[in-house]
Amino acid sequence: METRERPATPVQPEGTLRSEELLLNMGPQHPSTHGVLRLLVSLSGENILEITPDIGYLHSSVEKMMEYRTYTQNIALADRGMDYLAAVTNEMAILRAVETLASIETPPRAQYLRTIFMELQRIQSHLLWLGTYGIDMGAFTIFLWCMRERELVMDLFESVTGGRLHHVYFRIGGVYDEVPRGWTDRCNEFCGYFKKRLDEYHQLLTGNPIWQARLQGVGAIGRDLAIALGASGPVARASGLQWDVRRSHPYEAYDKVDFKVPVYTEGDCWARYLVRMEEMLESARIIEQCLAQLPEGEFRAGRVPINLRAPAGEVYTRVESPRGDLGVHLVSNGGETPWRVKIRAPSFSNLYALAEMMIGWKIADIIAILGSSDIVLADVDR
Amino acid sequence: MSVLTKAAQSVQGLVAGLGVTMKNIVRPKVTVMYPLEKSNVSPRFHGLLALPIDTEIGNDRCIICFQCERICPDRCIHIEATGKGKERVLERFDIEHDKCCYCGLCVEVCPTEAIVFVPHYEASTYNRQNLLYTIEDLHRAAPKEPIARGILK
Repeated sequence: METRERPATPVQPEGTLRSEELLLNMGPQHPSTHGVLRLLVSLSGENILEITPDIGYLHSSVEKMMEYRTYTQNIALADRGMDYLAAVTNEMAILRAVETLASIETPPRAQYLRTIFMELQRIQSHLLWLGTYGIDMGAFTIFLWCMRERELVMDLFESVTGGRLHHVYFRIGGVYDEVPRGWTDRCNEFCGYFKKRLDEYHQLLTGNPIWQARLQGVGAIGRDLAIALGASGPVARASGLQWDVRRSHPYEAYDKVDFKVPVYTEGDCWARYLVRMEEMLESARIIEQCLAQLPEGEFRAGRVPINLRAPAGEVYTRVESPRGDLGVHLVSNGGETPWRVKIRAPSFSNLYALAEMMIGWKIADIIAILGSSDIVLADVDR
Repeated sequence: MSVLTKAAQSVQGLVAGLGVTMKNIVRPKVTVMYPLEKSNVSPRFHGLLALPIDTEIGNDRCIICFQCERICPDRCIHIEATGKGKERVLERFDIEHDKCCYCGLCVEVCPTEAIVFVPHYEASTYNRQNLLYTIEDLHRAAPKEPIARGILK
């Protein structure tokens, strides 16, 4: 693995003022760390020599708690304890493992509904990322615009699941309830509306010289390094890695819809920005296709007991969360609760790449690079 | 770039920017002035939990089956009853709303739809004790108008 060399501390010429390496503590309460990430930054003047992320401020021992809850209760826990911006994707991650282990088939309608909700979740998560990234970079308008559209997604969620952020909507073998009357039309309407708004975002940001200057070429990371550090999701795709779980290991209805996986080779903040922007467009396209193909029929497999006893065995499954490859390793010994759950969180793996990206850049670029990697600290610590 | 082109570009940018401003002035407002006006929530909204009184039987519909207590992931429902079989009498039915995660599993498993969500979301209080809802509080928490139970909307 070729990691970058730590730049040497500059040698001070004789007779000048003495200068030394500065260790700066950034976080855990810094507003732009999007949570409680602490970064130990070694500086020479304004240049970053080394960066050490210090995590663990949001540790909630979700993996241990899951061992004491039944599979149904774990859905509610996965919603809240892990990545709080991608609740239904977390539910899907747990459920995919449970359903694979217990060989439970979901009816086609439930598969399509799940796909629609996961893509709505991706749009919601990326919108929040774009808005807060705009704030980090000093663009305030985009934040308000993103929040405006995000509210519509949350209303769509609320009218079906009852929750705005944490929707315990997926169940083992299907979804909780049917969508209300007229909801599919509202969702379709939103997709059309959202595509137009996305063009506005491009007008506001993509052509903006300040936005370009802050992002283009900053924090570049190569494809091989991204693979070696275990990066996934938009971070890896911006570095030229063609890897999307929805495409490589299709689940639910992803093999029945047509979508593009945006890949860029630059690997800088600008590429990561463009990948997420295109992903939002693709998500809207997937939702439209799913709504057009939505089959009638059952939304929940019959005869799944509330306290499911999954057969003894172990399974590893993965889903594509808005932040990348979210894997769940579930071991069961035949009881009502899992024996061990290990969650491979995308944010945690992307944190390795984050430390590599920042070396050699100025202190103001920390925010640009940190924002572009879109980590959620609840997902890092679990 | 000549000065003329630069000037033309600036004017063009200014006009485009003002155009966006004008467009947003005539667009409908999306902000809700929250404490003064409330935003509407959907019928399925996960607000507070309540045990509404059924006017036909003069009491709530709870049959003391303990299913909600068992499924609750946070163990925030506490039910105690005396007697056996059909003669069971409810001694205690408390919900700790500070522990509740509003997942809705109790509402889902309730066989008689006795426990429901009400679209009330302002439960902040200065004292944590106030969030322990006893059976009387849960009766009172339900709105006066009839509640849509299990109806697809």
